[in-house]
Amino acid sequence: MTSAFSKAAQERIPGIIARYAEKRGALLPLLWLAQEEQGYVSEEAMKEIAGWLDLTPPQVYETVTFYTMYNRRPIGKYHIQVCRSLMCALVGTDNLLGWIHAKLGIKTGQTTPDGLFTLSQVECLGSCGTGPMMQINDDYYERLTQDKTNRVLDDVKREGKCPLATGPFMFPEPAQK
Amino acid sequence: MATHELLLLKNMSQPGYSGSLADYERAGGYQALKKVLGKIPPGDITEMVKKSGLRGRGGAGFPTGVKWSFIPKDHPGPRYLICNADESEPGTFKDRQLMERDPHQMIEGMIIAAYAIGVRTSYIYIRGEFVLGARVLERALAEAYQAGYLGKDILGTGFALDLYVHRGAGAYICGEETALLESLEGKRGLPRIKPPFPATHGLFQKPTVVNNVETLANVPHIVNRGAEWFASIGNPPKSSGTRVFCMSGHVKRPGNYEVPMGVTFREIIYDIAGGMRGDKPLKAFIPGGASAAFLMPEHLDVKLDFESVAQAGSMLGSGGITVMEEGTCMVWAAENLLHFFNHESCGKCTPCREGSSWLLQILRRIDHGKGKMEDLATLTRLCGNIAGRTVCAFGDAEIAPITSTLQYFRDEYEAHIREQRCPFRSQPAPELISVGR
Amino acid sequence: MAEMVTILIDGKPIEVEKGTLVIEAARRIGVMIPHFCYHPKLKPDANCRMCLVEVEKMPKLQTSCSTVVAEGMVVRTNTPVVDEAHKSVLEFILANHPLDCPICDQGGRCDLQDFSHRYTPTGSQFTDTKRVYEKGFFSPLIEKEMNRCVSCLRCVRYCDEIMDVKALANAARSTMTEIVHFAGHPLDCEFCGGCVQICPVGAITSRLSMYEFRPWMMKRADTTCGYCGDGCSLILETRGEKVIEVMSSHGNGRNNGDLCAKGFFGYQYVNHEDRLTTPLVRQADGNLHPVTWDEVLPVLAERLTQIKLAHGADAIGGLISARCTNEDLYLFQKFMRLAIGSNHLDSTARYGHVNAARALRRVQGTNRWTVSYEDIVQADALLLIGTQVTAANPIVGLKVKEAVKKHGATLLTLETLVPSIETTSNITNLSALHVAVPPGRHAAAVRGLVKAAFDENLVDAALSSRAGDYVSRIRAAATALPYPEGLDEAALRAVAKAFAGARRGVILIGQDLLQAPGGHESAVNLLDFLLLLGKLTQPGWGLAPLTEENNEQGAVEMGATAEYLPGPADVGDAAARTQIAGAWKDQPPASQGMHLLEMLDAARAGTLKAMLIVGENPVRSLPLSAKAASALEKLDLLVVQELFLTETAKLADVVLPACSYAEKTGTFTNSEGFVQKVRPGLEPVGDSRPDWEILSSLSVMMGYPLEYGDAKEILKEIRAVIPGYRVLGAKPEPAQVAAKSVEQYLTRGFAEDLPARYSAGAAPKANSHRWALAVGQTLFHSGAMSTKAQGLLELQHEGKLIMNPADAQRLGIADGDRVRLTSTSGEATVPVTMLGRIPEGTLFFPESFREALAGLPSMTPDPVTGVPYCKQLRVSVDKVGTGGASSGPPPARIAGGK
Ligand SMILES: Cc1cc2nc3c(=O)[nH]c(=O)nc-3n(C[C@H](O)[C@H](O)[C@H](O)COP(=O)(O)O)c2cc1C
Ligand code: SF4
Ligand code: FES
Repeated sequence: MTSAFSKAAQERIPGIIARYAEKRGALLPLLWLAQEEQGYVSEEAMKEIAGWLDLTPPQVYETVTFYTMYNRRPIGKYHIQVCRSLMCALVGTDNLLGWIHAKLGIKTGQTTPDGLFTLSQVECLGSCGTGPMMQINDDYYERLTQDKTNRVLDDVKREGKCPLATGPFMFPEPAQK
Repeated sequence: MATHELLLLKNMSQPGYSGSLADYERAGGYQALKKVLGKIPPGDITEMVKKSGLRGRGGAGFPTGVKWSFIPKDHPGPRYLICNADESEPGTFKDRQLMERDPHQMIEGMIIAAYAIGVRTSYIYIRGEFVLGARVLERALAEAYQAGYLGKDILGTGFALDLYVHRGAGAYICGEETALLESLEGKRGLPRIKPPFPATHGLFQKPTVVNNVETLANVPHIVNRGAEWFASIGNPPKSSGTRVFCMSGHVKRPGNYEVPMGVTFREIIYDIAGGMRGDKPLKAFIPGGASAAFLMPEHLDVKLDFESVAQAGSMLGSGGITVMEEGTCMVWAAENLLHFFNHESCGKCTPCREGSSWLLQILRRIDHGKGKMEDLATLTRLCGNIAGRTVCAFGDAEIAPITSTLQYFRDEYEAHIREQRCPFRSQPAPELISVGR
Repeated sequence: MAEMVTILIDGKPIEVEKGTLVIEAARRIGVMIPHFCYHPKLKPDANCRMCLVEVEKMPKLQTSCSTVVAEGMVVRTNTPVVDEAHKSVLEFILANHPLDCPICDQGGRCDLQDFSHRYTPTGSQFTDTKRVYEKGFFSPLIEKEMNRCVSCLRCVRYCDEIMDVKALANAARSTMTEIVHFAGHPLDCEFCGGCVQICPVGAITSRLSMYEFRPWMMKRADTTCGYCGDGCSLILETRGEKVIEVMSSHGNGRNNGDLCAKGFFGYQYVNHEDRLTTPLVRQADGNLHPVTWDEVLPVLAERLTQIKLAHGADAIGGLISARCTNEDLYLFQKFMRLAIGSNHLDSTARYGHVNAARALRRVQGTNRWTVSYEDIVQADALLLIGTQVTAANPIVGLKVKEAVKKHGATLLTLETLVPSIETTSNITNLSALHVAVPPGRHAAAVRGLVKAAFDENLVDAALSSRAGDYVSRIRAAATALPYPEGLDEAALRAVAKAFAGARRGVILIGQDLLQAPGGHESAVNLLDFLLLLGKLTQPGWGLAPLTEENNEQGAVEMGATAEYLPGPADVGDAAARTQIAGAWKDQPPASQGMHLLEMLDAARAGTLKAMLIVGENPVRSLPLSAKAASALEKLDLLVVQELFLTETAKLADVVLPACSYAEKTGTFTNSEGFVQKVRPGLEPVGDSRPDWEILSSLSVMMGYPLEYGDAKEILKEIRAVIPGYRVLGAKPEPAQVAAKSVEQYLTRGFAEDLPARYSAGAAPKANSHRWALAVGQTLFHSGAMSTKAQGLLELQHEGKLIMNPADAQRLGIADGDRVRLTSTSGEATVPVTMLGRIPEGTLFFPESFREALAGLPSMTPDPVTGVPYCKQLRVSVDKVGTGGASSGPPPARIAGGK
């Protein structure tokens, strides 16, 4: 039968399961693996994972739907997530959304016609001192200005990443001696 | 202002410090572990931590050594230590820095804690969005295994410990320790009813300790320099040690600052974080993350320790301090936070599930100029009906922004209703929504 | 003795066991604390927060559903603060709850409605937008209205904790949590109806009865289910001439309020339009024509009398369904034995249960279980052999699940199914040790178990010294055999060892064992096994055969089989004959009665001239090769009492319309020997009559009046005549192993057939038909009646061959494709579906649709008990077509669901 997991991924699965005293513990990690493989967690993947972990598909499904980070359908190649919570909002979430809109023409919930960018607003991403900020796929971009935002989006569009990504994080940066 | 040497941020403040094992060892890392393993009985470590006065940095401030001592001594079978790296309390971003910049500091703390409570398997539960943090930790764990600090026979003492990174997937509630355990078991992050407590029925129903990143990062320092030394820092006996406070909002220099507990808000806002952006007057501040009640300029001289903040009617919480300048709309601020709480409510218990959306709808109406005076009484009543009646502390958290802004800024709510518009904005606030995937 | 604590609730002291929940303690003194999520069956979840109470010394209100009593605890449930808290939770719930009570089927029995009324809120302050869920199609039988859901999760928890099905999910979070199946797919589960029943509001309701009623319009009859031998108590809710729905109630009956799909959704055959409503008589034109009772009875009595006079009473035989009441069964055999004067009578217990009943009687003296459901729940080891328990005996299945999940019992299974997690439960998933036994191989597995008892040194030392001869001869016979080929020897030995090591253990056996060659011997061999372990006479231990039909146990005890008089007592037992003759004031006939197959042979041979068949359809039940139809056609007179014009009834000269269980008064005896009341919910449909009443009238006309005013009078006689019926009700006398019988078995009885019982049996012959096909019970059907129940047809409307997905893939077969099956006796073409629990190389076909297989099976009678074996066969499989028109959805015909 065809699998939602590549051969290499399938080989990793037993090792992941072995980390937990009860198989179900491996559910979140396996969902991550599925998302790494397909960009989202497909129904097929959920069923397969259920099989691995001795769960029923509904048990997998209810867990998937609880967490916001598992995509249940394919989304844009680059997922822009703008923090909307208070600390960022105090220092310019609105502006940031405006800049992204000006640059890409999309509003929250929309995907660019070329399928590259999907824009979401999300709750606090843990970078409250360095807002406004956004996460694009795995990377954080913080203390954004319009120029910086434009550059990030250009770079990501061209190369998939941008050197302005933050991390390892420290703020304020240690004083240079 | 009392200045003090840095403990937790010390290594990373050194120029060129990369957080690698080599760097950490060069800075004296893993000495504490070597001092302890096979040399000091586990029970004595717990005693030492008790004596140090270390209290949890995750929010509730529970004495760490006491928590460890709740693990049944004679329990057969596995027991677990979990590092709570879920850091999702709005206003908080210290754990991220501690993990990404100096991962071995907390790993060393975890190994010592595991030794103290007899744990052989341990997990770091890190929020899903911290992809970099998870990578840094994985790398650090690989180094630690390589160096013999983790694995079957640690430093030849026969002590064995496996340590895994477990990524969350987007759910604030999973920072609550029993929801975290459910999530780690592969379930929906719904808090458990207590009792039983994790100390006896935790992960997979086995005795479990959950500690925050910063809490654990303190452990090697206590071992290295002694409980008495630690107990003398800050504002002992109830609030000893330093804390990494996260400054956000309308200050000139937001960021993470490690200071001994007991400094005042005035000091941290005006001296350390550089004062108000544009030198506008301070309107209000949140002292300990979104779950903490708002405080006012009149509280500026309150000390940043557990007791003093509690006395002022709020809590030290997670150490996230958010500062708001004059001109910030308090109804909007409360609404924004309620949006967060509504979105993040797990949905398990009625008052929180239904209350959070109801409260949010009312706040939104008021903010958008459609409020009624009766709404204020309804808000108060609903908050009263949530307080203390939910499964977990989330319920109390979600009402804090409303009760405190209603307490200090009732006139502002009334103005919104009277004028049927927001007095601070010419246009209604854009609808800020969060869209799950 | 449980430790007791005393607590004070609203000033009243009450003493309860330690560990009791406050809400339960309060209930005991009549204080009903309002609640939604709490249910005594389920683990506390304390999510609704409705049950808050004040507990002295605790700063916050506590949820009484999760707070355990402690000595000296002071609880208040009626203070203003508590009242306010209850009101506030209601207010929160009502914020989003639609006010659609007028069109909600829960109206009138809704907890939310009741509590709202009790706390008379002055109306909700909520003026904002209500949350609205999109309406979806949940399933053809179950309606979901999520706007009404109070998120108590009782349904999800029931589905997991009690059913072990886990088909319901609590999806999304916060205000938008909802109950779904998998990813928005229609519900696919066991359809036990548990979620419908346990939902405190109208969020989950039955579509079969949608919009048909308000609770107060219905009449309720507490009765016993007519499907399987588990004997569930259920409540027929009727309105006028129609059964509207079936309910059950927690705390009641052997089922404790749980039901299966057949019990919950399978009632509509009662009101089926094809029910027979008048007597029919075959007339000169060769067709059946309606007549009145007054016309038919005298003629029929006369015909029977004529045949008796012309050919002797032994020319008349009778057959009755074990779905009839004890009263019907008792009167049937009395009618046959006295009014007719013939011992040629049988019941459908012949299809398998007599194998077990005879074995039990022979060894332990009683044909009843010496254990009960409580013993199953309390057992620490359970051994299941060929039970298919979830499909065939779902409620016993729940007892097994409870033992394993709640009490940590070790489950040992010798079953055909293999572990596989699907959205229906599978008992082997809970197995600690599972031995996969192909169809027809259970008898061999049992012999292997006995061998293992010796090889693992499990034999009771006391027995060896007391009955040395028995032990050594069984040892010689059992150990001479090799372990059965193809079964896992190590696993078999481990099973024997684990079972022997338990404190209390029950062996459950079912149709896969009893309806297969060697069925009778296996039952005896398992009693050997229990004897050898020294357990047979220990409390809590025993052999428990499960019955397929609801009253097979009753049929045996009423004497409605060829070999038994009421009691049961052997027909040839002189003392018993004297006793019954005393009660009957007449002698039962002395001849050796013929069982079903013998009667058919006699009919074929022309020596049997007439048959009276009550509620059974042998033409369908037996395979074509048994040639039942041609035998019955040879009779001079065939009389059939039936609900429907079955294949057998179509051959009859006289067809008499009978009442269904829903129109009857009487009793059923379940597998474990509990005698339970059957009460009518409906008036007889048309001119139909209870079976006993028909027989009684006939007897009068035949000049041998067996007159009874009502069914209760028959029960009175039964109670006087049959020992197990003296004490009825909730706590009957438990059956006990008779020391005398055991003694006799150990000294002599065992030897009679020793070589036959421990011979390797016919090893499965390797022929060109390499697939093992088993025909058996499914979750949604039992017998033919269920195929007239619209609700069950919605779930399964045709017989599909089930195979393992890997096999299907290998053959290039997709769900719905059609295959041709070929056996040595014929062929059949059927559609296919897949399930992971069917082992590779094995096929399964639902018994209720067996006509699709008609020519395929051959029949082997048991040489000793005459049980016709025809459910296991070997076949070849060829794919013949894709898709297939018959696999589409059934015609939607849901009552009220327009
Ligand atoms: C709603 C809620 C969210 C929480 N989130 C976090 C969190 O993100 N990180 C954390 O360390 N503790 C969090 N906590 C506190 C934990 O429940 C727990 O008290 C803490 O991890 C214990 O560690 P400590 O004793 O070291 O502080 C949260 C508590 C609640 C009620
Ligand atoms: S559907 Fe019924 S049983 Fe299920 S959670 Fe909702 S209210 Fe509870
Ligand atoms: S009944 Fe106690 S919380 Fe629901």
